[in-house]
Amino acid sequence: MRRIIISLIVTLAAALPAAAQQRINLDFPGLADRAEEVVDVTLDASMLRIASKFLSNGDPEEKAVRDMVTGLDGIYVRSYEFAKEGEYDRSLVDRVKSQLGSTWKPLVTVRSKRKENVNIYADMRGEKIVGLVVIAAEPKQFTVVNIVGPVDIDRLASLEGQFGIPRISKESEKDRD
Amino acid sequence: MNLERELQRALRRESPAPGLAARVLARAQAEAEEPRIAHPRRHWWRAAAASLTLAAVLGGWAAHQVAERREGERAREQVLLAMRIAGSKVRYAQEQVRGIGTEQK
Repeated sequence: MRRIIISLIVTLAAALPAAAQQRINLDFPGLADRAEEVVDVTLDASMLRIASKFLSNGDPEEKAVRDMVTGLDGIYVRSYEFAKEGEYDRSLVDRVKSQLGSTWKPLVTVRSKRKENVNIYADMRGEKIVGLVVIAAEPKQFTVVNIVGPVDIDRLASLEGQFGIPRISKESEKDRD
Repeated sequence: MNLERELQRALRRESPAPGLAARVLARAQAEAEEPRIAHPRRHWWRAAAASLTLAAVLGGWAAHQVAERREGERAREQVLLAMRIAGSKVRYAQEQVRGIGTEQK
């Protein structure tokens, strides 16, 4: 019995810092005041459960989102759009990266002088992704997404262009042309 | 002797005032009827109090449902927005990687 209790405590002690590591600090003081548009999404596990109840089962897109959201512990998004270029400090990207521990691995890094720089980091536990951070830095926009919990990246990418919203990447293809 | 006479006077039998029996009977009847009038009144108040309590409970429950629904709808919209933003960024990165792969071929 004592052995079971000790192993339970050890498991919990290991799990708690892991969960805490997956959620990063997305507090950027003063940035919202300078931005023209701000998106601030904070959904913890309980809010995600509530949201799942309201996602339609009949709508395939909403069902896909609901399937993705089930099992997640949190979704946190901060997106700031500025009127002019250079209104935010690019070192914010490094500030976010510096919070990522040793279990976080860079999945994709896209660098562009004129367009979007995107960094995708995954919290890997063996083969499993248990957390995701997406940092997108554009000349006039800075976006950070933090997903806490098991994530299927391909499914996440396939969600774009749904909900009646045009694909952003299609627009960027036109820009390239 | 005086004491004896005073006692006799005090304890002598006196006949009741006329109409006393009728008054006593009338009062007794009135008292007997009084509770019958009071009960329906008490019931009415109880019913009113119960109705008010029920209305308050139902009203509170309905308000809670409305608030919960509003919160749920807000959470739903936020989830869809968050997934759209996350999805667009991940897809953009994937397309850039695939683009490099295609150019290399």
